[in-house]
Amino acid sequence: MQLSYFRRVAAGGAVAALTFAGAGALTATPAYAASSKVSVVHGIPDTPVDVYVNGEKTLDNFKPGDVAGPLDLEEGAYDIALTKPGEPIAQAILSVDDAAVPGGANISLAAHLDAAGTPKITPFVNDTGKVAAGKARLIVRHTAAAPAVDVRAGGTPVFEDLTNPNEAKGDVDAGAVEADVVLAGTDTVAIGPADLDLKEGTATIVYAIGSAEAKNLGVVAQTVTGLHSAPAGVPSGDGGRAGTGVDTWWYVLTGAGVLLLVGGGARVATARTGRR
Amino acid sequence: MTVRHRGALAAVAAGVAALTVATVVACGSRPAGNVGGTEAADLAGAAPSAPAAGPSVPVARGDLPAGTRAVPPVRLVIPAIGVRATVDAVGINDATGEFEVPPSVDRIGWYRHGPGLEAQAGSVVVAGHVDSATQGEGAFFRLRELDRGDTLTATGGDGVAKQYRVIAREEYRKTKIPLDRYFARDGKPRLTLITCGGPFDAEARRYRDNIVVTAVPA
Repeated sequence: MQLSYFRRVAAGGAVAALTFAGAGALTATPAYAASSKVSVVHGIPDTPVDVYVNGEKTLDNFKPGDVAGPLDLEEGAYDIALTKPGEPIAQAILSVDDAAVPGGANISLAAHLDAAGTPKITPFVNDTGKVAAGKARLIVRHTAAAPAVDVRAGGTPVFEDLTNPNEAKGDVDAGAVEADVVLAGTDTVAIGPADLDLKEGTATIVYAIGSAEAKNLGVVAQTVTGLHSAPAGVPSGDGGRAGTGVDTWWYVLTGAGVLLLVGGGARVATARTGRR
Repeated sequence: MTVRHRGALAAVAAGVAALTVATVVACGSRPAGNVGGTEAADLAGAAPSAPAAGPSVPVARGDLPAGTRAVPPVRLVIPAIGVRATVDAVGINDATGEFEVPPSVDRIGWYRHGPGLEAQAGSVVVAGHVDSATQGEGAFFRLRELDRGDTLTATGGDGVAKQYRVIAREEYRKTKIPLDRYFARDGKPRLTLITCGGPFDAEARRYRDNIVVTAVPA
């Protein structure tokens, strides 16, 4: 039993390490960006943990449903281990060695259950591109021991057939929306409904966590701010009463004035010369 | 004096008259000019942030984001240019992606996606019409007359009145205006007032420029 558990964890770790490397390869690394913003999301129900990074305890008694960070981590490889609170790192319940953290990225490490209910760590690269003015980004990640789901907003499916450990995202009008999660293609509500306040210029990342079998499905949320854009312009007048520029006609008048002056002056001069 | 001679003199006189009128018009419609641009730009610098408290990592509950409401300005009074206007919370025009200035020229729009009056950082933005073809002069018709040191009062939805002091007035072509800076959510707390100005294109029915007034808490 014990052995099989460890084997399972080791396998999970290997998968996680591979996904890490994948995340690294997918993230273009600008030469100047040496460090990444790394957050840690706890989505394993009923299992508080201590988090070790490179053998050092970084988070103490990290509780399910909590989000830690962001930490600034230099680009590189990291050993990450989760232990039961107070237990030595040798008895880690979940560990990932040489996890590659790419430079210049914004990453969330989710400790969660896979579709079959086994604890694992999945790295997600957060989309921190700017959103258009008036919009907010919604990212939903399936990190629960549950089958494929649809995410609905106001009763209408917005993300369909989402499976563990994947994400769906979209930029939507900022504001409040009532959202729920249903089993894919059905009206069977698995999570929610809940009111989401999607603030303009932010990314709201919602993790579906827990286990359908254990009936403890829930959500953890993380927000990334500072993604706003300015409006395209400020149109604030079409009357023309406050126009400060000189209208074309005034240039014409100036030109005519100059012509009259020169022409008239020349005439006067020739007339005088003629009389002599 | 010949008729021809007289005609020539009349032409000269008409020329002088035309030039005089054109000069007077040109001088009268000169833009007010920019003041305080550097001071306004300096406000956009990042506000000093508290030094990170040791190596400990911040941990927070992963609750769904709750509606933290900004305090909207609801009334704006600018004695120097006779403004006493109601302020509406507005957003973005879906079709154009532009600031949705209230249709009534008597009202001013506050950008509800940005900071409110309670904010400790960033730019609270209000914009109003300079004028309208159908409604005449707007609330911000005389915005370009504001000068450094003029004061204004913005009253919030919570009833709290805040005093501001003008530190800059700038005019930009709409194609060149650094809107990111005026709609910033970081930097020192400030109030940014925007309207239209500059030469008017009568065919396109639009002004070439934006007038931007920057004020800081008095």
